[in-house]
Amino acid sequence: MKINKLYVSAIVMILLMLGFTYIAVGMDSKSAGGDIVNDLAILGAIVIFSATIIVAIKYVRQMQTDKATGKLAEDNWDGIGEYENELPIGWSIIFLGTIVWAFWYMLFGYPVNAYSQIGEYNKDVKISNAKFEKKYTNLTKTQLTNMGESIFIVDCAACHGLAADGLNGTAANLNKRIQVKSVEYVIEHGSDNHLSAHELATGMPVMSAGLTKKQIHTVAEYVSNGFDKSNKAGAKIFASTCASCHGADGYGTPYVAPNIHTFTPTLVAHIVGHGKHGGIGVMPAFKNLNPVQLKAVATYVTAISKGE
Amino acid sequence: MENRPLEYDYTVAKMFMWTTIITGIVGMSVGVLIAFELAYPGVNTIFGHTIAQYTAFGRLRPVHTNAVIYGFTVSGVFATWYYVGQRVLKVSMAESKFLMFIGKLQFWLYLVVVVFGIASLIMGWTTSREYAEMQWPVVLGVTVVWVLWGISIFGLIGIRREKSLYISIWYYIATFLGIAMLYLFNNAEIPTILATDPAGQSMIGSWMQSISMYSGTNSAMVQWWFGHNAVAFAFTVPIIAMIYYFLPKESGQAVYSYKLSLLSFWGLMFVYLWAGGHHLLFSTVPDWVQTMGSVFSVVLILPSWGSAINMLLTMKGEWKQVADSPLIKFMILASTFYMFSTLEGPILAIKSVNAIAHFTNWIPGHVHDGTLGWVAFMIMAGLYHMAPRLFKRELYSKSIMAAQFWIQTLGVVLYFTSMWIAGITQGLMWRAQDQYGNLAYSFVDVVRDLHPYYTIRGVGGALYLIGFLMFSYNIVKTITTGRRVEESELQNASPMAA
Amino acid sequence: MFHWLEKHPFLFAVGVFVVIAFAGLVEVLPNFAQASQPIIGTKPYTILEYAGRQVYIHQDCNACHSQLIRPFKSSTERYGHYSLSGEYAYDRPFLWGSERTGPDLHRVADYRTIDWNEKHMINPEALVPGSIMPKYPWLYKDPTDINTAYATQVAAAEFFHVPYNVPIPLKNGKTTIIPLAPNLAAAHAMALKEAKAIVDQGSDKTLQEDVAHGKIPQIVALLAYLNQLK
Repeated sequence: MKINKLYVSAIVMILLMLGFTYIAVGMDSKSAGGDIVNDLAILGAIVIFSATIIVAIKYVRQMQTDKATGKLAEDNWDGIGEYENELPIGWSIIFLGTIVWAFWYMLFGYPVNAYSQIGEYNKDVKISNAKFEKKYTNLTKTQLTNMGESIFIVDCAACHGLAADGLNGTAANLNKRIQVKSVEYVIEHGSDNHLSAHELATGMPVMSAGLTKKQIHTVAEYVSNGFDKSNKAGAKIFASTCASCHGADGYGTPYVAPNIHTFTPTLVAHIVGHGKHGGIGVMPAFKNLNPVQLKAVATYVTAISKGE
Repeated sequence: MENRPLEYDYTVAKMFMWTTIITGIVGMSVGVLIAFELAYPGVNTIFGHTIAQYTAFGRLRPVHTNAVIYGFTVSGVFATWYYVGQRVLKVSMAESKFLMFIGKLQFWLYLVVVVFGIASLIMGWTTSREYAEMQWPVVLGVTVVWVLWGISIFGLIGIRREKSLYISIWYYIATFLGIAMLYLFNNAEIPTILATDPAGQSMIGSWMQSISMYSGTNSAMVQWWFGHNAVAFAFTVPIIAMIYYFLPKESGQAVYSYKLSLLSFWGLMFVYLWAGGHHLLFSTVPDWVQTMGSVFSVVLILPSWGSAINMLLTMKGEWKQVADSPLIKFMILASTFYMFSTLEGPILAIKSVNAIAHFTNWIPGHVHDGTLGWVAFMIMAGLYHMAPRLFKRELYSKSIMAAQFWIQTLGVVLYFTSMWIAGITQGLMWRAQDQYGNLAYSFVDVVRDLHPYYTIRGVGGALYLIGFLMFSYNIVKTITTGRRVEESELQNASPMAA
Repeated sequence: MFHWLEKHPFLFAVGVFVVIAFAGLVEVLPNFAQASQPIIGTKPYTILEYAGRQVYIHQDCNACHSQLIRPFKSSTERYGHYSLSGEYAYDRPFLWGSERTGPDLHRVADYRTIDWNEKHMINPEALVPGSIMPKYPWLYKDPTDINTAYATQVAAAEFFHVPYNVPIPLKNGKTTIIPLAPNLAAAHAMALKEAKAIVDQGSDKTLQEDVAHGKIPQIVALLAYLNQLK
């Protein structure tokens, strides 16, 4: 049997295209399994390529083997004639088919008088939220940390950096509890980061009265360096000015002042959910995260601040 | 076959041929440059930091699109009109001093408008609406040029000898009307120079800035009604006009079916304008408009394929010509790419596919397999066919033409495959969830993954540009050193030296 | 009939025009009045925001950044609440974009601060490794065109009745007034005041000095514009 070069090359082209698509989709398993939208897009790509190749081959075959026939029209323009051939039957049928499909689409697929994309969105969100809740309510600490890490990369890393070092002061360096600059700022300006009326704290008043710039700096260094025992002067100022609310070692007092010695998941979750205003600048509130996600990202941040 | 042929006057066609080539080179070079800017951001400052603001991606992107649309493509449309129009209406421009004057006026004005338009975009004087970026002074210029072209079309038709209009003329008329309507409506805007402040001071605004008559969602709707159909009436309709003339003429074959031509034409006219809504799927325009956009896009496949099939069937039994002539190869591949891209468009317009593909590189991929594979191939084929007739010389080199054909085809294939993969990658990664049901990738993760595809795309574009330079060289050499030929050699297949 | 039409060019052209004009009438017109109504909380642009919007257009930021959040869970998780038609009521023209070479910006102020944008625009790679966005150093030097911004504001009020100097309802039940300066000098003063509030939230000392000396570099206007995208 003589193998037709044309058909072989068509098959090769289609296979190549499938291969490319596989490379695009298959790697890193970017396609979430069974997602109809993803599958349709890929199917679409395959159809575009295959249909065009197959139809083109059909006509190329006709160029190779068929003959031009038909009744020529009377008119002739600059030597160009015109046959009075009938419409190609396949083309006509498919044309009618698309018109029927169009009516189906407008009346039943996405009815023009009833379909609402927002309605569909709300339904989707409801379903996936229900799924999320069912699957992720009771997570272990490791799972929470892992989940938190991926949220951190998407939502937090733009400012805090992938290493959570705050990108040269763009945002807080989360590898430690608090920076000198931030401590100084709250002493001089007070603080009320939406923590009031919460078990964490009430607002903090301005505490700089009676302290010199240098003293403020000293105590800030003491706090920032993890309650550095060698900083005697700092420890002394802390004990007299701050300890009454934040506790002797800065672990905080419920309903009064937050823990400034270490991060706790509750504290971090609260800041992520409500935003913050401090010495470094403004941090927006991340209202797009649900309670589980907040808890996860808080667990992750708490873990990295302890060097875990 | 005919009486003694008329002495056609191609002065204006020749003029537009030059602008086609020059704006083509400019537009495509800028395209290649900005393609590499996405692959290697350092290219943004390749001409130095001092003029970086004129060479950054944002500034040059409209320069690229406008140069290839209003420069290259529209020039090509005009050049072929001033050639094809005379021949299928059987009337010479030389017969009317008035039309000759209008034609030349149109050209010189066009040249001024294009140069000013491109310069204004480099300056950043833009309205931000895609393909309608040029500010109102340029818009006025374009409008005058367009009116002159209309006078030329209907003037020539008015003094025609061939009573019945050939298919190409239908499409040229549609091009004229379609663009006129869309362009005027979409560019409705108020120049800020006209504003008078409450204290009565006027002229505080800028001559090169304006405020759109439409706001928000309306603005989007009018823009994409324009945007989509400007593509239709600049990249589809006049190019069909070209293929309906050049393919039968070059091959000496009669058009396959009048009925198919007829149905395709009126089908395209009716359906195309509805499809603009597919640019706005899942946006804030009403759901029913989106649905109409989707539906009509899919119905549009058949009128589009009708023309392509009509052309492919015209070549029935003529494989030898296809195999022998690179000029016919260009046109056959152009028809195929036309089918390809008019199937791709509708599939991208299906809501579920669009959910992934919109905002991704699949879209520029789609645009370019249409523009590179169909529009530019067809315009080059048209000019290749015209050159021997305009200058009475043999085409300089068939082998350059053949090499160019394969280089450019490879360029297009690299372009759209890389952009397909990039687009699908983006679409999937943006949606992807990790095992905990959260977004799996940050935005920049996706950007990093696109680097190889951006690079391949740049290479594809560069290959295409190289092919276009070969084309330009071939045409210039044809005009300057090609062998002189007699009228009798110019009946059908264009004479070309090996 | 068609053969006849093909012999009568004028009627042929009329026929083509009717057929192509039809779709626009049916699809575009019916929602025109409704689609341009602002929703509660949508405010007209202040003078500096307008100037910033003009910078955004001038640099063609919309070539790479969209401002349209479509109603998909993956999009709303990344960019915030899906976009609503009324939010764009004062956008002339719209800036939805059609390509996301960079991320969507419709609610960027919800998760990026002025300070971050200020640092980012001068060297995107420093904050986002792998970013392919160009650097925009000239925006930190070139002055903002307040005259044109003012003219745009005046034109919007004059021709399109954009509500300046009247109470605008906000989501929290209160109202606010976006002022339109009575003359050019007042417009400049107003812009400078806004500029000061913006640079105070950033950390670039040079910008703060510029504003203190009465200069408004383009980046300040752009920051003001970006900061109201929420």
